[in-house]
Order: sequence, then structure tokens, then C-alpha cells
Amino acid sequence: MARPTPSQTVGPFFARELLWSDGGNVLFPGRGERITLTGRVLDGAGAPVVDALFETWQMDGAGKLPAAGEAARPYGYGRVSTGANGGYAIVTVMPGPFTGPGGETYAPQLSVTIFARGLLKAVRTRVFLAPLDAIKDDPLARAIGNPDRLRTLVAARDPNDPTIYRWDVRLQGAGEAVFIDV
Amino acid sequence: MSRALEADVHPPYAHPGYKSTHLRAPKQPLVRVAPSPLEAAVPPFPKKFVTEAEADLTTWGTSAPLGEKMVLVGRVLDEDGRPVRRSLIEVWQANASGRYPHPVDDHDAPLDPNFLGKGQVLTDDEGRYRVVTVKPGAYPWKNHAFAWRPAHIHLSLFGNSYAQRLITQMFFPGDPLLAIDPIFNSVPDEAGRRTLIADLDLEHGVEGVALGYRFDIVLRGPRATPMGA
Repeated sequence: MARPTPSQTVGPFFARELLWSDGGNVLFPGRGERITLTGRVLDGAGAPVVDALFETWQMDGAGKLPAAGEAARPYGYGRVSTGANGGYAIVTVMPGPFTGPGGETYAPQLSVTIFARGLLKAVRTRVFLAPLDAIKDDPLARAIGNPDRLRTLVAARDPNDPTIYRWDVRLQGAGEAVFIDV
Repeated sequence: MSRALEADVHPPYAHPGYKSTHLRAPKQPLVRVAPSPLEAAVPPFPKKFVTEAEADLTTWGTSAPLGEKMVLVGRVLDEDGRPVRRSLIEVWQANASGRYPHPVDDHDAPLDPNFLGKGQVLTDDEGRYRVVTVKPGAYPWKNHAFAWRPAHIHLSLFGNSYAQRLITQMFFPGDPLLAIDPIFNSVPDEAGRRTLIADLDLEHGVEGVALGYRFDIVLRGPRATPMGA
């Protein structure tokens, strides 16, 4: 048994090194319902986290794993940094629901990993693009149980523009997002 | 299949000596769930995503960068010792003076017009990788009085599944700054910290040109018992 290499922080200096040109525009070979996931990353004092690396990975519109292609970046993968107000935006297609190896149904969601100065290891989670009452059978929703905690992972559809889903991530304190160990 | 516990391997989120953790470390326990089909899969990087030239950070400019030229070699394995094949590693680092070409790096040390400090490489079928660069310099930071980061190279790995995604830092043997670095010392135990220090590996250097260092990386394996609902 080899010992896993420990994580270390991404630090504050990664923007020129890790970001991809137009990395917030998630590529897919086919079409789909275009949506935007946007929001802010906030710390325990409610201050914006201005230097987070925010990555998303998702199924396509039919709930299938994206295959390798010849595009500039991997299909289904988003990568951006938060800005001066802690904000991020991922423009992508609405992922379909999908089924796990044991037959369990996963609600429409993106897997999210956030790295930042002050995070010695990444925080991982999943954001749901469906209302609370539509995700009750999702494996993570079941594992969380408490609806107040679960609500931290549900993106809110903008009443004025249904293509926009808003999701703020609080790293610490009141409204702290649920983070997962997979 | 087996897997070390997160808490035994990685730093805790909250590490009092590292100031930036104070308001950013989550306080609630992590929820353990089985990897979803997404998290068990690897993001499909296109074949041409990495070019061979990107593994040499010393050829980016019009002439050679300043500093001590070095070759970094290593293998990426999983916890069961299997090679992590054809997998992306991104590396980035300060230049030989300890400066990043980044707008918010205000360290009063010179930029090197011939060094960007950015590269990437794919592991081969045995999990091996090789990167050519210069040894980064140490640099001051504002965490505490007289704080200096030991020389380090950042590595970002995608592994063979999204759940293996890892960002870490590699340090140099014998560096006296390791003893006072809260980021390095956030790793809970001596054996773990040791795995973040490269070994001098002269034979993998280039005779008369570049020093060789070896840094092997182990990514977590799949969990033994899914802990779903």
C-alpha cells in the first residue's frame, strides 16, 4: 500500500498558469439547452473569495458521459477563477439525470471542485439544477437528509431569466455549503 | 481495493499557523458518499491537448531563463501501486528569483522575460513523467513576520478519475525553510511531509547541464466500501 501524496493549497498565483482561454464556456459535441450557472464564493465573514479556482464536470443533456473529442478543451469540463467580487460564471448545457451502478437516480447536477489560497485541500461538492422537491431520491440528497443543509446545494432559477441558475458557495459559517468526501 | 482515510493523509482545512485558512476552512464535517458515475470517470482531454514542448519550461523565451536548470522525473501511481497512465499533470512555479508573472505578486524580485513558469505533460503507459525547468526561488509572504515560502513547484493532477483530482506542491531536499513553512507543516505527520520532498536523482539530470530530481506521486484509490445513503 503506497501512501497517497498529501494535498497542498493552489495558492494565489495560478491565473496565468492554469486557466483556459474561455474556460467558463463548457463544450459539448451536440446541442443542448444552454444555461448559465453563476454566483459568488464567500468566506466565513461573508467576504468575497476573489482567488478561487472553480471547476465543474457534468453529464451531457442526455445524461451521458462526454467522450473525448477534438475540441480545444475536454467536453463537459468548466474551469474559471472567481473575480474581484468573488463571482464566477459557467455557461453550459443543462445536464440530464443519470443512473448509478446500483440503479440509483442522480438528479441534474454538476460536480464542483474549488481550490483556493487558504484551502489546504480542495472542497468538493455537487450543485443541483432542480428544485428541492425534485431531488429527494438523489443519493447525495438522501445522505444529507436535513433540508436546510441540502438547500445550500440547490441552484435557484432566476425568475426573470429561466436560463440562469444562481448558486452562492459559502465556505464557512452560516449557510456553509455541504462539502463531500467521495 | 483499499483507501487511506482523508484525515490521515491530507492537511486539515483549518490550520492555525496558516492565516488564510481562518475564514476559508469549512467547519462542518464532510458528507461521505460513493463517487457518482461522473466522479468515477475521467474528464476526456482531447488527444492534442498537450504538446511535447510544453514539458520544457526553459524553451519558452527567446533565450534560456536564468537559474539552475533541472529535470524533474517521477511516476504517478495509485494506492495499490498501479501506474496512472496517460494522465495530465500541470506544473507551475516562481522563477529563479522567487517571482511569479502575476499582477498581484508584489515581491520585489525581477521577472525573467524568458520564463513563464508554466508547463504540462502526460504520464506515459508506466505512469512516468519528465519536466525540464529551473529551480524556483524562495519568496517572502505576509503570513507572519519574516515568513518565506520554501522553494516549491506546484503540480495539478487529473488522475484517472475526477475523484483523484489533486493539487499539491513539491519541495526540495535539505531546505531550511521547510521547518518554518505552515503550508508544508499542515500535513499531519512526518511520513506524509516526507512524501512532498523530491529526491536528488543525478542520473536523471543532464550531464554538465541540469540537476535531476525525482518526485513520485500517489493518488488515492477507489474506496473499499461505498458509504452511500
